This record gives sequence, structure tokens and C-alpha cells, in this order.
Amino acid sequence: MNFLTIFARNLKQGPQTEAFPLGPAFTPDRLRGRIEFKAESCEGCRICERVCPANAIRFAKTPDGMTFDCWHNTCVFCGNCEFYCPTDAIHQTNDWDLSHVNADKFDMVEHGLIPNQTCVDCGATALNTAPMVKNAKPPLSAEEYTELRARCPKCRAKYLKNRKVPA
Amino acid sequence: MGLIPDFKQIATRSPWIYRINAGSCNGCDVEMATTALIPRYDIERLGCQYCGSPKHADIVLISGPLTVRVKDAVLRMYEEIPDPKVTVAVGVCPISGGIFRESYAVLAPIDQYIPIDVNVPGCPPRPQAIIAGVAKAIAIWRERL
Ligand code: SF4
Ligand code: SF4
Ligand code: SF4
Repeated sequence: MNFLTIFARNLKQGPQTEAFPLGPAFTPDRLRGRIEFKAESCEGCRICERVCPANAIRFAKTPDGMTFDCWHNTCVFCGNCEFYCPTDAIHQTNDWDLSHVNADKFDMVEHGLIPNQTCVDCGATALNTAPMVKNAKPPLSAEEYTELRARCPKCRAKYLKNRKVPA
Repeated sequence: MGLIPDFKQIATRSPWIYRINAGSCNGCDVEMATTALIPRYDIERLGCQYCGSPKHADIVLISGPLTVRVKDAVLRMYEEIPDPKVTVAVGVCPISGGIFRESYAVLAPIDQYIPIDVNVPGCPPRPQAIIAGVAKAIAIWRERL
């Protein structure tokens, strides 16, 4: 390519410099950025805590239920947690702008709470986690799902066992 | 009398950047080099320029978890940078230790040894994130000057 072609191409394309910070930044949709947690679809299996190489995720039992905390300042954006999560409870957004002043260092946390509930059958206190029903056949209807969710793990197992499955 | 305010106004337009590698894996250093040196990100639009000596620096970017071996050299280098300076921790390593957290060989978090002003988490952070961090640092630096 001779210099005239390059000259013509550069004239047509304009500068290659990104507009950021004076304009919007180019962000791919699948960029692996900040972790987001949805407590309502979490099964409470704690796989994410186990597979996290940077120990960024911590679950803790509190009187109100189980809390989830992910500290963005030690997360390495590897995506292990999302990969191993059986539901879509944890996922990586494409938000990359996490810069902050040092005073906010310990506020860079994704927090979630899986609340306690009272089982509608036996009255025991158990976590209101999403039921593990991926392999249930036939798939649960919306009402069945709500009924199942309102129970403790033992009563959930019973419920699934006694469920009428059409032949 | 009038000279100093004028000088301040001119000086605050062009902070010079210095980069300290405190035992980083080189991931963050590559991103910092990308941020400053290639026309696609071009941090010189903010008036910033890399300088080769800590004595000329205004904003210092630190990457890496501060390994035990490199600690004295880093502290010595940091002392050489004239005040007022603004420190930016690039990557999760200096902020918390990141993937190397709680290792016997690293002394992270680095703010136990060096006052840090701005954190840019990521492993490594993308160039745009570093630019955002530097922009915050420039704002702090203007206040200090
Ligand atoms: S977020 Fe996913 S992997 Fe983590 S405990 Fe909840 S369901 Fe399990
Ligand atoms: S992306 Fe990786 S480092 Fe970050 S929370 Fe998930 S598993 Fe941990
Ligand atoms: S934050 Fe990640 S990329 Fe940067 S120095 Fe540490 S390990 Fe390397």
C-alpha cells in the first residue's frame, strides 16, 4: 500500500483515538466487569464462594438469613463464579468503571441477603432460597414453584416426591 | 506576587505521570503503557505525559502487590517524588492483594505503607478505567497544588 492510499484511508476514517473521557467509551456487551448478584434466584449452594480464586465472595449466616458479599477490590473478573453458578444468580455486567477514591475502598461491595422464612408445612425456619428444580420432570408450573419455595429443604423434598406426575 | 497564581494555572494543565512497578505480573503495566502510548487511548489529551524520573512526577501510578523484595526500592522511589503528589493504585493487587492476597511474599494492601488517593480495580483494569482513574487523580492534584 503506498502512502497515498494510507493518506486517503486516514482522511476517510478520521482519528482512531477513542472519545473517552471526553465522550462515551466503547464497551463490548460481553465485557467481563463488575459482579452482580440477584438474591431471589440464588440456590444458596455456595459454589461461587468455593471456586472464587481471589476469595472475593463471602457468605455469612446472620439472624435475618444468609448474606452475600462480593468485594470488587479483590475480584479479578475471572468469571468462575458465573460459570459454576447453577442459576443466573451471579453474573458479570459489562460495567468497568470502578475507579474510586481511597476513602470508598471498603464500600465497593455487592451485597445481597437471602432472607429467612417459616416453612408453611412444618413451621421450621429455613432460608428462602430458589429451589433446585432444574432436573424436575415435567418442569414445575409457576404455582408449584411458589409453593415449593415456601417450604424448608426437607418439606421441599417431600413435596417433590408426592407430586402427581401424569404418566 | 502575580507570578505564582499564573504559574499554578499553567502547571495544573500538565501533570506528569510516573509508574512504579511494585511486583506486578506485568498485566497492569501493559495496560498502563497502552493507555499512555498508543493513539487509540492517548492520555496526552488530558495533558499527561510519562516521565522517566520520579523527580519530575506529579501523579504516580502503582501496580503490583508490593512484594517483600521490592518494598525498600518502592518506598525509596516514592520518597523521591516531590510533593504535592497523587497516588493511583492500578489493579486489584495494590488495593487488596487480589489474587495474591494473604501470600507470605506480598505486603498488600499497599496503603499500609504509601498513602493512596485513587483506586482503579480490575485485573488488569481496561485502559478506559485507568483514564477514568487518572482523571480523578488530576482533580485531586489540582486541589492540592
Ligand atoms: S450465586 Fe449461584 S453459585 Fe453462588 S450460592 Fe447462589 S446459586 Fe450457588
Ligand atoms: S469473577 Fe472470579 S474473582 Fe470475581 S467474584 Fe467471580 S470467581 Fe471471584
Ligand atoms: S491486578 Fe492482575 S493484572 Fe494487575 S498486576 Fe495484579 S495480577 Fe497482574
